[in-house]
Amino acid sequence: MTLIAPGAGSAAGDPLEGPTATVDEHGTSLWRGALQRLRRDPFAITGALIVVVFVLVALFAPLLAPYAPAGAQWGNQVTPSDVPGPSADHLLGLDAFGSDLYTQLLFGARQSLIIGVVSTGLGLAVGALIGLLAGGIGGWVDVVLMRVVDVLLSIPSLLLAVSVAAVLGRTSISVMIAIAAAQVPIFARLLRGSLLAQRNADYVLAASSLGLRRRTVVLSHMLPNSLGPVIVQATLVLATATIEVAALSYLGLGEPNPTVAEWGRMLVKSQNRLETDPQLALLPGLLIALTALGFTLLGEALREALDPKFRR
Amino acid sequence: MTGGGDVLLEVRDLEVHFPIRSGVLLQRTVGHVRAVDGISLDVRRGTTLGLVGESGCGKSTLGRAVLRLVEPTGGSVRFDGVDLTTLSPEELRRSRRRMQMVFQDPMASLDPRQDVESLLVEPMRAHRLDGGPTAWRARVRELLGLVGLPSTAAAKYPHEFSGGQRQRIGIARAIALEPDLVIADEPVSALDVSVQAQVVNLLEELQERLGLTYVVIAHDLAVVRHISDEIGVMYLGALVEQSPSEQLYLQPLHPYTISLISAIPVPDPEVEDRRERILLAGDLPSPAAPPPGCRFHTRCPFRQPTRCDDEVPALRELAPGHRVACHWAEDVRDGRIVAAESAHDPTAAGTV
Amino acid sequence: MTVPAVTLAARRREGTPLLSVRDLQVRFTRRGRAPVRAVDGVSFDVAPGQVVGLVGESGCGKSVTSLAVMGLLAPRGVEVEGEVLFEGQDLLALSSDELRELRGRDIAMVFQDPMTSLNPVVPVGTQVTEVLRRHAGMDRGQARDEAESLLERVGIPDPARRLKDYPHQLSGGMRQRALIAIALACKPRLLIADEPTTALDVTIQAQVLELLKQLVAETGTAMIMITHDLGVVAGICDEVNVMYAGRVVERAGRRELFASPRHQYTGGLLRSIPRLDAVRGGQLTPIPGSASDVLPWERGCAFAPRCSAQDADCLVPDLELTLDDVRPEHRLRCVHPVPPPGAAL
Repeated sequence: MTLIAPGAGSAAGDPLEGPTATVDEHGTSLWRGALQRLRRDPFAITGALIVVVFVLVALFAPLLAPYAPAGAQWGNQVTPSDVPGPSADHLLGLDAFGSDLYTQLLFGARQSLIIGVVSTGLGLAVGALIGLLAGGIGGWVDVVLMRVVDVLLSIPSLLLAVSVAAVLGRTSISVMIAIAAAQVPIFARLLRGSLLAQRNADYVLAASSLGLRRRTVVLSHMLPNSLGPVIVQATLVLATATIEVAALSYLGLGEPNPTVAEWGRMLVKSQNRLETDPQLALLPGLLIALTALGFTLLGEALREALDPKFRR
Repeated sequence: MTGGGDVLLEVRDLEVHFPIRSGVLLQRTVGHVRAVDGISLDVRRGTTLGLVGESGCGKSTLGRAVLRLVEPTGGSVRFDGVDLTTLSPEELRRSRRRMQMVFQDPMASLDPRQDVESLLVEPMRAHRLDGGPTAWRARVRELLGLVGLPSTAAAKYPHEFSGGQRQRIGIARAIALEPDLVIADEPVSALDVSVQAQVVNLLEELQERLGLTYVVIAHDLAVVRHISDEIGVMYLGALVEQSPSEQLYLQPLHPYTISLISAIPVPDPEVEDRRERILLAGDLPSPAAPPPGCRFHTRCPFRQPTRCDDEVPALRELAPGHRVACHWAEDVRDGRIVAAESAHDPTAAGTV
Repeated sequence: MTVPAVTLAARRREGTPLLSVRDLQVRFTRRGRAPVRAVDGVSFDVAPGQVVGLVGESGCGKSVTSLAVMGLLAPRGVEVEGEVLFEGQDLLALSSDELRELRGRDIAMVFQDPMTSLNPVVPVGTQVTEVLRRHAGMDRGQARDEAESLLERVGIPDPARRLKDYPHQLSGGMRQRALIAIALACKPRLLIADEPTTALDVTIQAQVLELLKQLVAETGTAMIMITHDLGVVAGICDEVNVMYAGRVVERAGRRELFASPRHQYTGGLLRSIPRLDAVRGGQLTPIPGSASDVLPWERGCAFAPRCSAQDADCLVPDLELTLDDVRPEHRLRCVHPVPPPGAAL
């Protein structure tokens, strides 16, 4: 018999003591956990880096730019057949109108950011409100609101933007409203769908079984748990917004003041010089693509980080 | 009912019929799923009623309908003398303080965004419990102690606990308001086998300390038998047998209960090899179109040529506290009717 | 290593094993995290006609073991070591094409959730005939007839009509039967059943277990039964491996194991579950803590933090799975085993 009496003298400081191992003071919330996962994701880091650089450039454009943004100071150096390339004075050369290309690109970031953020914010706010009312109240409110949204959704977003611009006239504000209007249905449907998916979740049932008021259940449980996909969508929409700003400018519906630098318009204006001076179109095009990529990477990474499947 | 203790919960002819809708634009009701179809039962204060049955038998819906988390379409539920089905939404909300629920999957029933303190304080705030935030926080510590969790758990989030610990949190939340009645829907079936006993013991301890009345809903008859004083067996939305829990295993009367008990694997090869297993034919019929007569007659191994398929059996009391809904219960009990498809040696017989 | 001893004992008892798993290790490696050892040196044999059980709770490595045997683990982020000998051929050394050829023909698997293992957009019949045509080389007509008789054999009524049904049109029990029919299509010599009845109701579970037992008895197929349900094990397995934290902690014949569980974990598990046939009353004896309270095996017995018999002696690095000297038909990995019934304490 190799039997030893059970529970015989356990050594002091025995590592076996205390079966419940977790003892740190504060728990990891869902968002903090997501942040920790984001920090380990190279795609998220790349996306965040691009976005941060973009925002910094937009904010500090006046400090970074060697020249003032306004006007074609060197218009006399530009001939129909030749745009001066990079030189000691002009890092990237001049643009088709004789402005410093580098300065224009820096200030273009500013315009894209303002329009992108404001229009997405506006679209998100209105869309989320509609979605919350529809998904939270339900019944006929839901039916009516969703039919309105369906109608909005059936109009191509660019056409919608064109009509808004036509009604309100050509200003930056109408560009923002136009882009926002196109986003409202997306956010409304997303939040509503997300709320409906929560409606039969166990924790919602649990909340009502505890005797919580319907309003509390919707606002402090269903809504916060439905926001994840909406926030991810907002990040992705920021990417398309920068492209849409460019597209509207391209169609001549953008910011009317020609002295305000904007990537989309820079692209348009250099169209006829594509063969001789490709950098004029290439650089703003590249920046549009890069910014969109940054937001997309961040959005996708966020989606993954917020996915409960990855949480442990 | 067998004596002692007054009746806390009185369910009469409870019905929950879910409409089946069809059509894209104009939704027409084309039928009903009879999830709960006329159930009556009593639960005495301080006792535990177990409800068993297989998936789709309506046991979970019954539990939810009792609390009006699902609206009953017929019948009444009297809780301590008050008919819950007639209460206004606000009255119902306030009465929830006295009846609580424990869910199967604690991960799904706890909001992942709340830490434990906020999870536990929430019901106290909703019912404006005396003392305000300071007293509530003290109560959180007390509750955690009651369910055997350290007070450091208060600052943590549900996903940071093991399954068993999460269910303890779910139980702590259910008893936070000092309810009289707790309905536990599959409280241990999502947990690891080695942890299930911890939660079963906890439920029993709490019942003793706090004088709780339980309705425990589960598919595992062994767990239900251990924890319950009385057991109701459900099949296709109806109660087919109800009895004191010891007696149900010793002398099951309804053919469905008999088959169910014979199908449950026992962790003992000696028993497994010896026993006679009654294999039921086929699957559960759709609750949208339950069979006429006795609902079980399509699968019943004791089915008789008369009465079974055209006459609905009433729930009859055969022994004190032992009710059964079968026309032939006495004959089955006394061995005058034997199962059509029983297999003595399962490995040799080709009954499947 | 105990490998030669185990092999010898198994050969003596069962003849040459059909499948022989030797010191299987599976590690999951994730970027920026310490690797997780899911299976940590598992060895066992399966002989033709034998049902070997892998029993344990979630996270003990039983399912990962079966996936590694089938070569179904994702190739990235997973490190598999050891040997999986199927008739002497190491499956871990086969190319993915060779392995695919083997799966479905010689080795088949039945999973817990039939809904996710059946293709939802293809009729059940097509899914059966597909296997028959690919692995058994049947033509369309032969495959159809064979599929019909297979469905009939697993107890699906009206098989000719059911062949045209899509998985969602079948009930859970019928789907699991269809899955078993697919697994049996090529008369596999090894069937791996991973929690085949967990998603089913007890009365349906009884039907499916009965079916599996019959198949083993009639065809001599070897079977690995993976389950957390000790009741299922008691009814169907010839030999039982109890797993904890990635290792086999106890191995014995079915009757022997239940009559005299020697490992503290097995004993604790059997004491903690309420039994339908026992006298009612009294408290259950739970195992404290949860499956996440483990000690790394290289420091001592992984179960020690939850064990009522643990002491300083349990901190033996890499405890071996050894022959029990009290009950020789038993192997266990425990310093302070449960005393056998009748032994004086």
